[in-house]
Amino acid sequence: MVLVSAVRDYVYRMLQDISGMKVLILDSQTVSIVSVVYSQSELLQKEVFLVELIDSISKSKESMSHLKAVYFLRPTSENIQYMRRQLSNPRFGEYHLFFSNMLKDTQIHLLADSDEQEVVQQVQEFYADFISVDPYHFTLNMPSNHYYILPAVVDPSNLQHFCDRAVDGIGAVFLALKRRPIIRYSRASDIAKRIAHETAKLMYQQESGLFDFRRMEMSPLLLIVDRRDDPVTPLLNQWTYQAMVHELIGIQDNKVDLRSIGKFPKDQQEVVLSSEQDAFFKANMYENFGDIGMNIKRMVDDFQQVAKSNQNIQTIEDMAKFVDNYPEYRKMHGNVSKHVTLVTEMSKIVEERKLMLVSETEQDLACNGGQVAAFEAVTNLLNNESVSDIDRLRLVMLYALRYEKESPVQLMQLFNKLASRSAKYKPGLVQFLLKQAGADKRTGDLYGNRDFLNIARNMARGLKGVENVYTQHQPLLFQTMESIIKGRLRDVDYPYVGNHFQQGRPQEVVIFIIGGTTYEESRSVAQLNASNSGIRFIIGGTAVLNSKRFLKDLEEAQGIARSNANVV
Amino acid sequence: MATRNRSLLFRKYRDALKSVRIPASSSASSAATKSSGGGPVIEMVSTSLLHPNRSYTPLSTEDPGNSSKGAVTVGLPPAWVDVSEEIAANVQRARTKMAELAKAHAKALMPSFGDGKEDQRIIESLTHEITNLLRKSEKRLQKLSASGPSEDSNVRKNVQRQLATDLQNLSMELRKKQSTYLKRLRQQTEGQDGVDLEMNINGNRSYAENDDLDDMVVESVNELAQIMKDLSVLVIDQGTIVDRIDYNIQNVATTVEEGLKQLQKVLENTETGRHGDVCYSARYNVLCHVGPPNPQGDNLLIRMHVFFVDDFQFDQR
Repeated sequence: MVLVSAVRDYVYRMLQDISGMKVLILDSQTVSIVSVVYSQSELLQKEVFLVELIDSISKSKESMSHLKAVYFLRPTSENIQYMRRQLSNPRFGEYHLFFSNMLKDTQIHLLADSDEQEVVQQVQEFYADFISVDPYHFTLNMPSNHYYILPAVVDPSNLQHFCDRAVDGIGAVFLALKRRPIIRYSRASDIAKRIAHETAKLMYQQESGLFDFRRMEMSPLLLIVDRRDDPVTPLLNQWTYQAMVHELIGIQDNKVDLRSIGKFPKDQQEVVLSSEQDAFFKANMYENFGDIGMNIKRMVDDFQQVAKSNQNIQTIEDMAKFVDNYPEYRKMHGNVSKHVTLVTEMSKIVEERKLMLVSETEQDLACNGGQVAAFEAVTNLLNNESVSDIDRLRLVMLYALRYEKESPVQLMQLFNKLASRSAKYKPGLVQFLLKQAGADKRTGDLYGNRDFLNIARNMARGLKGVENVYTQHQPLLFQTMESIIKGRLRDVDYPYVGNHFQQGRPQEVVIFIIGGTTYEESRSVAQLNASNSGIRFIIGGTAVLNSKRFLKDLEEAQGIARSNANVV
Repeated sequence: MATRNRSLLFRKYRDALKSVRIPASSSASSAATKSSGGGPVIEMVSTSLLHPNRSYTPLSTEDPGNSSKGAVTVGLPPAWVDVSEEIAANVQRARTKMAELAKAHAKALMPSFGDGKEDQRIIESLTHEITNLLRKSEKRLQKLSASGPSEDSNVRKNVQRQLATDLQNLSMELRKKQSTYLKRLRQQTEGQDGVDLEMNINGNRSYAENDDLDDMVVESVNELAQIMKDLSVLVIDQGTIVDRIDYNIQNVATTVEEGLKQLQKVLENTETGRHGDVCYSARYNVLCHVGPPNPQGDNLLIRMHVFFVDDFQFDQR
């Protein structure tokens, strides 16, 4: 809630004090930032009658001096160049510039230099530099996410850009929250250490004035972790609503594009899944597939009732009631269609790809023991014609991550079988994954078999029997958060930056996952937040992953690493 | 949330750079440029009517095309803005009248001596005025439509959508006020009947009054249905993809154009005459037999069925 309302407040304040007709100009990043929290109709109410992207607005020469321009951009050098050109040939009456992060003095200088006509009325930094997809979940939506996987020597300048963007985004989150955290990071990850230190430098040295907020009793905690500590969660198939839609179809900025999976009528090609705006979604986003089916059926039945009574118009009073309630009815209709379509399409995909079968094995690989049974199950699925290439790859990866040390011969057999069955498989990808995220490289106890306490816990779970075999898995993040709640996050695993040490439990925790978050993890966060543990968690990452995205990042990194090795 | 204002630093740089530039330019252009801020200021009243709470924006009389150092130069808007201002003004007038109507409703419901005919008259005339304002605005709304994917046409379309939303909300509000009033009135009338001893006379009168009330209901529902249908293509459904800013950046041109074609068709139909010749469903027949003849109601039913028939199609899964 807090991140969503912070960004909304920023947008509101940009527009509130400027009277008259306005045009809002955004860049490709800020358009996502604004679109997930503010609607078109709300913009219209604020007299914003035109919204454009900064690169397309440069192309037009129409003078529109009756409009006041409000720019909301990321302070990149590219955007500054666009601004300079536009200021030297101003088309609008007034210019109000808002930047989502800190401007360098040189950038302000450049802008001032171009403003010969003196059309600029104000230049502000409004730190909405992240996309708040859900109340406790934000993302930076970074296009080149894969750089986190590569060692620094491979591409230092791109890696620097990557780190800068992460640090900027994290800084903006805390400026929006008006807090300055103590910082801890995942021991085994170089990039986590780097980003942690650069963030500390920003907050405590470079811009210490800006971050110098009124101190509460306890500072919040910023924990920076690496996706590679838990490569299992993004590989798993999902069975709770939001996570499942993202895994099977794909959610981007809270929108679902159905055109990739079939032909739909125009008003169903793209739909919005936002917990802020859709009460049904809010109530069901973390429910599992079986329960969603039932809840949707109930929603359809309710709707049919209403529709039937609408057809049964006999008196003038009935007519009046119908017309009065028509907007509500229309909204209900749209919403019901949307959810029915989504669930229907997902059911089709589940059926085609035999996902229930595949997922059972996946969950076993992620949660339970038994190498022999696992090997057999994976081999059978690899032999099954109906199983798709991507699912085969995931299964082998999950097996490899779990049993990399046991029985190397059988592991090799699986690699070979995978290569022979999947035409598009890039050889060596699984090995690449192991090199990046194998047991030696991970912080934390992914399978719960390193720590005596974890082993005991696993056994207890196994004995209790599992409610739903498809949702057994709990991401590593959940355990990390539990440790924080109990005040038992080990310094050995998660050291502090500098002299940040703080006794006691924090009340607010922001966990940043380099490489990306998953909806399964944001679900864990929401559940813990609802449990009144006394701590409020927020998670964010460089992207929101599903298995496809995670694999793509791996492949891209592997490609670069290969070509780099060849050069050297 | 934290913010940081860089305007001061910006202006400092700008002034510093200006003083570096001016020695070179002043000699060349002093003849050409007028002194800044020297012209009289016209208050642009119309831009503020869209939102009456805003303060006026003063304009310079200088041609905004020229450089205008230091003066705020919001230029004169294009001609179509006059139309949108007119509609906005009508909407505002309608709002004021609605407030008056609410008072008139309250007054009419209070017990009083006299037959209340004067109150009724006021209510009727106010209601008609408001309805006319709304209907007139709705027709004028069509004038804002523009074709072609220019930026100006996008602005027009958005202004149109905003006004359409306002109009629809006002229509619904009017309807709600009226239905509350009529309901209370009916309760009062029926209450009187129970107590009054001169049953026959009053019985007849109240029957006629009830008929009048029914007519009013039918008329207002009719109006609202018509307006809602006309505006439905323009009003944005909140929470849907059409209400997303990123979607609109790509799609304003196409979707609204389609909607406007439909709007045109509907207005043509309304103007050429009522369509009463085709019977759309069995419900029409049933209604004929069930209640007393009510031609307005029947017309409404047909129209509503046509209007809403698409929405009854719901795929059974």
